[in-house]
Amino acid sequence: MENFASLMHGFSLALTSYHVMLMIVGVMLGLLVGVLPGLGAPNGVSLLLPLTFSMDPASAIILLASMYWGALFGGSTTSILFNIPGEPSSVATTFDGHPMARKGEATRALTLAFMSAGFGALIGVVLITFLSSWAARFALRFSAPEYFGVYFLAFAAFIGMGSASPFKTIVSMMLGFALGAVGMDSVTGSLRLTFGFDQLLPGISFLVAVIGLFGIGELLVTMEEGLAFNSVATRVSPREVGRTILEWPRYWVALLRSSAVGCWMGITPGGPTAASFMSYGLAQRWSRRPEEFGEGRPEGVVSPETADHAAGTCAMLPMLALGVPSSATAAVMMGGLMIWGLNPGPMLFTEQHDFVWALIASMYLGNVVAVVLVLMTVPLFAAILRIPFAIIGPIIVAVCFIGAYSVNSNAFDFWLVLVFGVVGYLFKKLDYPLAPLVLAMVLGDKAEDAFRQAMIMSQGDLTVFWSNPLAATIMTAGLLLLFMPLVSFGVRRVRRLSVKS
Amino acid sequence: MSISRFAMEIVVALAVCIAGAIVVTGAMEFGIRWSESGPEAGYFPFYVGLLLIFGGIGAGAQAVFARSDSVFLDRAQLQRLVSFFVPMLIFVIISVFLGLYVGTAVYLLVVMRFQGGYRWPFSLVVSIGTVLFFFVIFEVWFQVPLLKGPLEEFLGIY
Repeated sequence: MENFASLMHGFSLALTSYHVMLMIVGVMLGLLVGVLPGLGAPNGVSLLLPLTFSMDPASAIILLASMYWGALFGGSTTSILFNIPGEPSSVATTFDGHPMARKGEATRALTLAFMSAGFGALIGVVLITFLSSWAARFALRFSAPEYFGVYFLAFAAFIGMGSASPFKTIVSMMLGFALGAVGMDSVTGSLRLTFGFDQLLPGISFLVAVIGLFGIGELLVTMEEGLAFNSVATRVSPREVGRTILEWPRYWVALLRSSAVGCWMGITPGGPTAASFMSYGLAQRWSRRPEEFGEGRPEGVVSPETADHAAGTCAMLPMLALGVPSSATAAVMMGGLMIWGLNPGPMLFTEQHDFVWALIASMYLGNVVAVVLVLMTVPLFAAILRIPFAIIGPIIVAVCFIGAYSVNSNAFDFWLVLVFGVVGYLFKKLDYPLAPLVLAMVLGDKAEDAFRQAMIMSQGDLTVFWSNPLAATIMTAGLLLLFMPLVSFGVRRVRRLSVKS
Repeated sequence: MSISRFAMEIVVALAVCIAGAIVVTGAMEFGIRWSESGPEAGYFPFYVGLLLIFGGIGAGAQAVFARSDSVFLDRAQLQRLVSFFVPMLIFVIISVFLGLYVGTAVYLLVVMRFQGGYRWPFSLVVSIGTVLFFFVIFEVWFQVPLLKGPLEEFLGIY
C-alpha cells in the first residue's frame, strides 16, 4: 500500500497542466520520429535530451518518456500502413499488420495495434509500480562487488541471450567500452585513448554516437534499399474504431501471453525487439491455424505490439532501480539522468522520491494520452510520410547534425556523427547488434568504477566477487550466461556426432 | 559489379582487429598492471582492446567457415548510397565553415533542385522556410545556440 500512496502522490505531481502539455508535446514528437524513417526512439530521445538540460528533471523525464511512448506507437503506424517498420521493434508488426491494411482493414489493424500496445504498456507500468520499491530496497544491499556483478550480468546476458553471433556482440560491446574510456579517467585523472587529439579530451558523448549509429546509419540503410512507400489509403472512421475496440477483448489470451513475454524480456536485457519477435513466434506456434499468419491474422498484430510495449515499459524498471538499462533507449535516458545530476540506482527512490513517482504516474497517463493522440493523428502522420524524400531526407539529416551539435556545441562532433553513421550502416547490414555498444558506452565508466572500488575494498583480491552469497549468485549467473553460446555449440556438436554414428 | 557479403565481413573484421590494436597501444601508455590501489588507468582498455581483436578474429572466422555467397551491395544500391552520402558530406563541410543554418539551406536547396527535380522558386521557399523554422525552434524557443558562420555575423545575429 505504501507504493499506492506514493503513486497517488506521483499523480498529483504529474497531473499539472504543464506536465500534461509536456506529455502531449512529447507524444507528438515521438510519433513524428517514430514515423520518419531514420529517426527512432533512441535517436529521438538523444536529439531531444540536450534541449532538456535547463528543465527540472521531473519535467524533463516526463517529456522524454512520453516521446519514447510516442515513438513506439509511431513505429507501429508505419509498419501497418506502409510496410516500413519505423522502429526495429515493430518489424514483427509488419508481418500481419500490412496484409490487413491491404485487405482494407487498416483501421482495424491500427486500432488493434494501439489498444494492444496500450494494454502491454499498462501491464508493464503496473509491474513497475509493484516491483520498484521492492527492487530498490533489495538493491540497497548492494556495494561495489554486487554492482559490478549486476553490470557483468547485464553484459553477459547480451552475449548469452542475444540473437546475433556472440563474437559480433563482443565486438560491439568492446567498441562501446573503448569509446566510453576515451578522455579523462574518473579514478586516476589521466587522459586515455586521446592520441593527442585535443577534441577528444572531454570524451566521446554517447548521444553523438547514438545519433550517428541509429540516425545516419538507419538512413543509409533505408536509402540503399530504395524507398518504396506502398501506401494504403487511410481514413480512420470512428465507427470502425469503436467496433474494433469491442472486438479487441477477444484476444485476451494473446494479450496476456504477450504481456508476460514482454515484461520478462524488458526486465532482462532482451529488449523490445526480441520480445516482439518472440511473442509473434509464440502466437503462431500456439495458433490453431498457423499457416494463416503472414496473411493478416489479428493475433499477428496484437501479439508483437503488446510484447513490444510491455518490454519497452519494463525496461525502465532495471534502469531506475539498479541503474542498468535493458534497452538502447533506456540507456540514453539513463545517460540523461546522470547529466541532470541524478544517480540512477536504489538511492534514487529515497533521495528523489518525487521524481521517481512522478515518472511512474506519467507512464500511466502518457500511455493513455498516446493511445488517444495516435488514433486521432493517423491521417496527419500518414500525410507526412507522403512528403517526397528529396525534401524530408535532407531535413532529417540536418536535424541529426543539429542535435549532435547541441550536445557539446562542438563542430568536431559532425565528423564523429559521419563516422558513426558509416559504422552503424555496416554493423546493421552485417548483423552486429548496436544496443550493446550504446549500453557499454553509458555503463562502461560505472562498471569500471565498481570494479576498481571492489578491488580497493579487497586489496586486489578477485575472490571479493564471491565473498557473499548475493554477489556470488549474480556473478555465477553472469558467467553461466556468458558461456551459454559455447555450451549450446558443444551440445549441438555432440548431438550431430551422435546422429551420424 | 557488386560487393559480396563475405568480402565485407572480412573487411569489417579486419577493421575491428586494427581498432583493437590501436586501443591496446593507447592503453599501454598508462600502465596496464595492478598497482597498490587496484588496476591502473590502462588496465581496462588493454583487455577491452584484446577482446576486440578476439571478437574480430572470431567474427572473421565465422564468415570463413559459414561462407555465404550473398551480395552485400549491388551497383544500383551503391549508386543510391553515394547519391545520398555525397550531398550529406558536402553539407557537413559547408556547415563547419559557414554554420549550420547556411549549410542546411544550401543542402536542402541543392537536393530538392537537382535530385528532387523541383523548380528553383519552390526549392528556395522550402529551404529558407525550414531554416527560419529551425531558428525559431532552437534559438528562440529552446535557447540552444547552433553553430553560426560569417553570414550570421554579417546580419548581426548571435
